[in-house]
Amino acid sequence: MSASGVRLDDPGRSVLLTGNEAVARGALEAGIAYASSYPGSPSAEVLEVLAALAEERGFYAEWSVNEKVALEGAAAASLAGLRSICIMKADGLNVALDTLTALSASGTKGGLVVVVADDPGAHSSVKEEDSRYLGKVAHLVILEPADPQEARDMTVAAFGLAEQLRAPVMLRCVTRVCHASGNVVLGTLPPKPAGRPHIGCQERYITHVAYHRIQEERLAQAREIGEGWPFNAYQGPPEPEILVITAGPGYLYAREAVEVLGLEGRVGILKLGMSWPLPEKFLLRHLKSASKVLFVEEVEPFHEENVGYLVACHLEEVFPLALYGKKSGHVAGPKGPGLGEIDVDTVIRALAALAGIPYEAQPGDYGREARELVKKIPRRELGFCAGCPHRASFWALKTAIALDGREVVVLGDIGCYTLGAGRSGHYLMQTVHAMGSGVGMASGLGKLERLGFSQPVVALVGDSTFYHAAVPALINARYNQSRFLLVVLDNGTTAMTGHQPHPGSGVTALGKRVPALSMEEVAGAFGIPVTVHDPYDVKGAVEALYRLLRQDGVRVLVLRRAYALLTARQEKKPRVYVDPKRCLGDACGCHRFCSRVFGCPANTWDAALGRAKIDETVCTGCGVCATLCPQGAIVVEEVTRNGA
Amino acid sequence: MVHNLIITGVGGQGTVLASHVVAAAAVESGFLVAVGETFGASQRGGSVTSHVRISRYRRYGPLIPRHRATIIVGFEPLETLRALLNYGNPLTRVIMNLHPNYPLGVLSGADTYPETQALMEAVRRISAGVLAFNATEIAHHMGSPVAANMVMTGALAGSELLPMAVPAYEKVIGELFSGPARQLNLKAFRAGVLVARGDLPAVWGNQVVKDGGK
Amino acid sequence: MPGGPGDLLRQVLQTGQCVSCGLCLDLCPYLQAAAERVVMIHHCGLEEGNCFRVCPRTPTDWEEMDRRVFGAPRADHVLGHYRQILFARATDPVVAAAGQYGGVVSALIIFALDGGKIRGAVLTAGAPGEMPQPALAVSPDEVLACAGSKYSAAPSLRALHEAARRGVEPVAVVGRPCQVLAVRKLQAVQGIEAHHLAGRKVALVVGLFCFWALEPGFHAFLRAVAGKARILKVDFSPESMLVRTDRGPLCKPVEEVRGFIRPACRECFDPTAEFADVAVGSTEYDEAWNTLVIRSKRGEALVRAALEAGAIEVRPYPPERLPALRAAVRSKKLRALEVQASRGESSYLLIPAGYRQALTGRDQR
Repeated sequence: MSASGVRLDDPGRSVLLTGNEAVARGALEAGIAYASSYPGSPSAEVLEVLAALAEERGFYAEWSVNEKVALEGAAAASLAGLRSICIMKADGLNVALDTLTALSASGTKGGLVVVVADDPGAHSSVKEEDSRYLGKVAHLVILEPADPQEARDMTVAAFGLAEQLRAPVMLRCVTRVCHASGNVVLGTLPPKPAGRPHIGCQERYITHVAYHRIQEERLAQAREIGEGWPFNAYQGPPEPEILVITAGPGYLYAREAVEVLGLEGRVGILKLGMSWPLPEKFLLRHLKSASKVLFVEEVEPFHEENVGYLVACHLEEVFPLALYGKKSGHVAGPKGPGLGEIDVDTVIRALAALAGIPYEAQPGDYGREARELVKKIPRRELGFCAGCPHRASFWALKTAIALDGREVVVLGDIGCYTLGAGRSGHYLMQTVHAMGSGVGMASGLGKLERLGFSQPVVALVGDSTFYHAAVPALINARYNQSRFLLVVLDNGTTAMTGHQPHPGSGVTALGKRVPALSMEEVAGAFGIPVTVHDPYDVKGAVEALYRLLRQDGVRVLVLRRAYALLTARQEKKPRVYVDPKRCLGDACGCHRFCSRVFGCPANTWDAALGRAKIDETVCTGCGVCATLCPQGAIVVEEVTRNGA
Repeated sequence: MVHNLIITGVGGQGTVLASHVVAAAAVESGFLVAVGETFGASQRGGSVTSHVRISRYRRYGPLIPRHRATIIVGFEPLETLRALLNYGNPLTRVIMNLHPNYPLGVLSGADTYPETQALMEAVRRISAGVLAFNATEIAHHMGSPVAANMVMTGALAGSELLPMAVPAYEKVIGELFSGPARQLNLKAFRAGVLVARGDLPAVWGNQVVKDGGK
Repeated sequence: MPGGPGDLLRQVLQTGQCVSCGLCLDLCPYLQAAAERVVMIHHCGLEEGNCFRVCPRTPTDWEEMDRRVFGAPRADHVLGHYRQILFARATDPVVAAAGQYGGVVSALIIFALDGGKIRGAVLTAGAPGEMPQPALAVSPDEVLACAGSKYSAAPSLRALHEAARRGVEPVAVVGRPCQVLAVRKLQAVQGIEAHHLAGRKVALVVGLFCFWALEPGFHAFLRAVAGKARILKVDFSPESMLVRTDRGPLCKPVEEVRGFIRPACRECFDPTAEFADVAVGSTEYDEAWNTLVIRSKRGEALVRAALEAGAIEVRPYPPERLPALRAAVRSKKLRALEVQASRGESSYLLIPAGYRQALTGRDQR
């Protein structure tokens, strides 16, 4: 929520922190000098908090253009002997991976902690990626906290570990840690970072295959440390019938499941704070004493596979032993094993099945009386926020494509506008992959003319995504003479993750005003023509899109309008209302365009009057619906300064 | 003993802030707290639900198991019933805002929004009691409909279903906000407390339904 | 016959039957036009809609239209209802010079504007060689700026909705025969307050003779023909296209233009704007005059008042010219019936048997 709890210099005090805040607090206590990130949910708030405290704690923090550059910046600080932290979501790790695998080979100096936030269930992502596999590829130590307290504790420990091993350490958080809150007992804040950052003339950090051996030796060293590490812990009876091997919030779910089922005497819980490398001796000790093992972990069966291999190597010692988890189908959420997020109920069901005891959360007919009264409970679809410029942009694009008449291909990208693949964007988007992918694919399609491909191509990208990953694709398109229209949906902020600034915003993470890097100038420098238009002027935007669709080569249209909710907070918003005398209701040919088709949450329907209505508590006053109402029935009343 | 509180609503209604106030008040009062919420896409029209777990000795995870909620505070009628069906049981106590917020599917005509009265009655039938009123309307009279989240928080505090005293909440709200926002939020919170205590004058033409349930 | 956007799409828009009258545009947010091509952006999901009701290319019963506009079936099956056919021209030399021929349309509209009979006129703007655009003229100067034939199918009735929104009423509509039909169909829509009103706001309908309209590609062709010269005026004779430019006249055989004829025009049954208050065309004889067909009482009153005020002058239609006009119109109608026969049930033309027989029999006049 804020930096106030993170900032407190009150060791021993228990405060309420989110997992993200707890990571920031841990970094603070570890005495970081450098923090960098590209915003991604669910970890965006870590750098937000750090940036807010950077000035007073005397360290540097930045929103980097992308995760790779963020990691390289943090690595540089490490090589100069400073403690640094780099934060990204799982998808961001893919972007940074090339650098990360190299850093692990070259080694680092100051403690470098890479925080990677996975999003099981993809609450605010397009995929649920298990980053532990990539950490393993990079030969890294992977730590997994279970709750905010552990997020703080493990962050502090990770810096020490990174320095001991002279390599980056990965802290794998999941949404239920990042966005959870809980009591965190604060540690001591160190004095401001001292000592001059320096790289000695004899120091070398070279990536070379020869260092593969060192990477393996380092993992062996980490494995030894893990054997006695307090975050790898067992609790339960000495000879449990069922051994639960778990990490992250799964540990808390397992504990509660045992409590709910009353299985304290039969089930032991082995919690892995270090998910890689595995503390093999510690694991074997407990595997020998159990007859059934249940793996409880988020997303993929990472432990299940790696412990399974360990079991296979020591079959004689642990036999008889049966393994259960996602692979066996026992740990399965509503979507099936290995799909979606797990929760307490997932674990309760699995444990109840293994222990052979019945469990029903409630009698099957609970809720029957309610369902008799309310037959159907409508789902809530996600849509663009009220006043969001993307809604106007997508309507303009839909119109322009229809007017063009050809089979235009629309390539999407990652951001709020990914919702444009659904009803909010009239299902226009035909591809969604990764940051900047739409532009790269457009660049590819735009070269297929010689093979008989004749459809016009439009790539949609957000402003933050433009800087993050679209620029190389644009260079490629220009160099290889591709042809497509790039539409930048520019709302001036990284809206998806909570409005962080980017290179085009003219302000840094530290709040410093800097010259905004204009995308017109960037694209213009490549010799690509750029048109800028306001999407709120839908008619004009349609004309611009229609005209540009018919042009050749690579061209860019920036649909620019500041994010509506931000503007509404800043200024006095105009009052928008429906004149019930002009609105024709269902007699109009529009068939409720404003509430039904345009789909702004502020455009509702007054069933009693049979007329359109504006929910003024939701409306941001953008007035776009007023320009599209065929009867001109929506009135925009500018609010003057004296409130008249 | 763990208090399993669910605060549910729609993106933009301020459920996350309300759960933070409750959780912070609990920490202030010496309890262990775990809050689970998903707010990656919270402002984009979806359901937003916070799980708040308050205990004295034992740490819990951030998610309440199915049908183990002790209290459900619903900022929106439909979401209240949805949460109750998923997490409630016959002993669950409910506080609900009667101001509806229509899903996109309803606005588009693909779905119909159930009658608010039917929603309230459905909630009453499968819970241990419901306090239902239009918190948005009250917040509107207090200065801004946006403060409905604080009216609801006040109603929760005033209902004394949780072990924290009203001043603990007020302290948190006072620290979270400054200036006119602090005044507005405290005013809204106190109105909610009055609603729960049955002391709110009926000047708002507001229907307050308090039902002991079965 | 009721229908909705789906029917409009199937029967008109997807089959090249749209005449780009422009009346459905802005009736809802879903029908838009680019380069005289009307496109449905989004299917609103309604079973019935005004877009279908007002479209001149959805099924139209000719006899019913006669009764609705003139109160009776027609007696003349070639020229439709008319009270008088005259030669006419504007008396003001400025107006006459601006017009394609005698400037009668501009003169009548300016007269109606000046006399307060109308507050605006739905017209078509655009210089030769440019894409014509819908225009709402509210002053004589704006009317004159729209003078002259345009040759392609500008969706100018779109401006009727603009007039309704801007509160400009009553208005005159000047349009091609299909546009006249569209306005009459709009006026016939019952029970829907606002569109009904938009229809009622039309105080005068002036139809323009039209035997075909051209695809918008014609304008680019014209510019290519003119090269660097500035196009002053374009005119067609049955054999050729004459382009007057600042560097002298250019002539092209009409065959070179035929390829641009809109497919929808092949099934046109009404080249002389039979449902207008007055219809105006060339004389095919004397460039300084127009043919003026007075069809309705309202049209008659306007012409009489304009004559009395000296805004226009008239002379009798030369009787020896009439057979040529009748023959041209009749042959156009017969061609439309042939196309209709080939399209069968999907044709928009509902021509009662009596009308058909009277037309296919020998022209008695």
